Amino acid sequence: MPDYGQITIGGGTLSAAWFLGLAAILFTLGAIGVLVRRNPLIILICIELMLNAVNLTLITFARQLQDLDGQLFALMTMTVAAAEAVAGLAILVDISRLREVEDVDELNELKG
Amino acid sequence: MPLQAITLVILALPAAGSAALGLGALKVPRRLVQVVGPGTVWVAFLCSLVLFMDQFANGGKPHDFTYWTWLSSGALQVPVDLFVDRLSVFMCLVVTGVGGLIVTYSNGYMEHETDGSYARFFCYMDLFITSMLLLVLAGNLVLLIVGWAGVGLSSYLLIGFFYWRWSAVVAARKAFVMNVIGDVGMILGTFVLFAAYHSVTYRGIFAALPRTDSPLLELAAFLFLVGAVAKSAQLPLHTWLPDAMEGPTPVSALIHAATMVTAGVYLVGRLHPVYDLAWAAHGAVALIGAVTALFAASIAIVQTDIKRVLAYSTMSQIGYMFLAVGVGAYAAGFFHLMAHAFFKALLFLGAGNVIHAMNDEQDMRRYGGLWGQMRGTSICFLVGSLSLAGIIPFVGFWSKEVVLGDAFSKPDPSGFPQAMWAIGFATAVLTGFYTGRMWWMAFAGRPSPERPVSRPHEAQAVMMVPVVVLAVLSTVGGFLQINAGFHPGWKLIEDWLTPTFGPLPWQARDLEYFPTAATLLLAGLAFWPIADAFYRRRVWSVWSERLPFLQRLLERKYYLDELYDLLFVRPMDAAAESGDHLLEAPVIDAAPTGVAMTARGSAGILSLAENGLFRTYVLVMLGAALVGLVILLVVRG
Repeated sequence: MPDYGQITIGGGTLSAAWFLGLAAILFTLGAIGVLVRRNPLIILICIELMLNAVNLTLITFARQLQDLDGQLFALMTMTVAAAEAVAGLAILVDISRLREVEDVDELNELKG
Repeated sequence: MPLQAITLVILALPAAGSAALGLGALKVPRRLVQVVGPGTVWVAFLCSLVLFMDQFANGGKPHDFTYWTWLSSGALQVPVDLFVDRLSVFMCLVVTGVGGLIVTYSNGYMEHETDGSYARFFCYMDLFITSMLLLVLAGNLVLLIVGWAGVGLSSYLLIGFFYWRWSAVVAARKAFVMNVIGDVGMILGTFVLFAAYHSVTYRGIFAALPRTDSPLLELAAFLFLVGAVAKSAQLPLHTWLPDAMEGPTPVSALIHAATMVTAGVYLVGRLHPVYDLAWAAHGAVALIGAVTALFAASIAIVQTDIKRVLAYSTMSQIGYMFLAVGVGAYAAGFFHLMAHAFFKALLFLGAGNVIHAMNDEQDMRRYGGLWGQMRGTSICFLVGSLSLAGIIPFVGFWSKEVVLGDAFSKPDPSGFPQAMWAIGFATAVLTGFYTGRMWWMAFAGRPSPERPVSRPHEAQAVMMVPVVVLAVLSTVGGFLQINAGFHPGWKLIEDWLTPTFGPLPWQARDLEYFPTAATLLLAGLAFWPIADAFYRRRVWSVWSERLPFLQRLLERKYYLDELYDLLFVRPMDAAAESGDHLLEAPVIDAAPTGVAMTARGSAGILSLAENGLFRTYVLVMLGAALVGLVILLVVRG
């Protein structure tokens, strides 16, 4: 495991690699979820998961480098995530009014 | 109201009427059309009378009203100016007066049309009057060309009025093409005059004219002659006029007899300082006129369609006018123009009455015996016929005699005017003959067994009144100018036009007693006993069997249509055909088609990426991010 330094947490310290590793696992889970799941709601949740994995990475590095930019950027990501969720859900609601959507693969009318 | 404004009103009113009828074509109620259509023309006539009074009072001093500058580019200055002198007022009166009568007549003649067609007809008629007035009032050549093209356009529209008839469409197209040949001549002529004298206004050009003839001047005069010949249906650009009879009969009366076709005569008269200098072109005017007069009269002898007989007689009579202005007797030419406007409008409207009563049958062989059943129309038509034939005391006699007398008495060592007179004399005899034939065939005798209507009704009042007015004008119009062999006579027309043209440069001698008497006698003989004998008593059929070649030659109009077809139409068609095969498909079409095919092919390949599956997009995105990351690490590391 490469050395990314230590992070003080609670009373002790922990290797930053654990946090980054967790973020990598969450991100991968999210990405796989987006790729393999068909239900649009699950896909949206998976996207949130990926975004939060990124947030975790950002905060880890911010803590480690004693630099608030990372935390600020995490706030920014959350804002964007909220907006994206609103837009995505609104689109989904609209589509579901027109027809039953169980599989995003059915939403392929815009193909070239 | 000042004169300048009145002059503009003359143009603006028919234009406004035309626009109003055209824009609201389907919605304008018929009553309103009946008022607006002729009404604007009549008001223009009243305004022309005001100009007439002014010209009468001030002794013929011309006005040049400039309204605004149209084009200004270096030396080229084109103002919008109207030129009011004795000649243009004369023309305005003829155009709006005869035009007003004919447009009024159309109210009755077009009654069977639908409301939309009805308004469309009057829209075109007013458009025509506007263009014609612009033509005669224009103060410079560019504006003249605008009016010139405008009458060509409205002529096209009106010939093709029954656009659902293929023959009408073809005739309209033919007239337009022939007229455009003339327009090109006009435009080139204007270029030449501008290049030589740096002006396009009449005043500028006439002031800059040299004192002697020059090749440039001859060139310009010949180019304008092309325009005049095309518009006035003279040889060799005449073939459109007989076909133009496809239009409604009032159109034939207004455009193809009374006004538009005389524009060529007006042009030569208007540019008379140019033609006075350019002797070769001037002689060509007279020669073309004389030859056309004889040529058309000979064809008219064998035509059986009443409107075609009148069409050829129009060509023939305009030939007389060309003859007159060609030998320099301008006033005589314009007197004949006015006389012709009266009696030819009368003949066409009279023929219109008959055609209307005969359910649109135009073949004279199927008429006969109308004298007893349509007495009013018959009497008026007889007045017109006698006038056309040149029988005393009708207007055609006086005007034709002035034309022939002036030509005969012009002193010229070459004898050219006398030769022209001889052709005109022969034409006068032929005119008497074919007019008599028309009269005896259509009106006299017993009804033809093939007649479509056995009991024709006389025309209604709105059609009868203009015919009667024109008949009166054709009867008394000649007394405006009595000088052919009668002394002392008076010459109101000639005196009126003298400020424009100057006095006749030679003395019309007393010798014209002889030609007058001879023409009168021979034309009269031809009209009555000879034509009567030939047609009513069926001598003609015997003769035409003896001379089948001549009969055929005349019936086919000297094969000129066939010749033009062979010389121009077929080579064009062949060239277009081969161009289609050799150039159009393999080269011109191939280029855009190739571009389109390439674009479509490459787009097809690219569109494979847009398969509409969400997963694919995400995969591509993540894959691309991964690849980017790897590259980043490799470069850094």
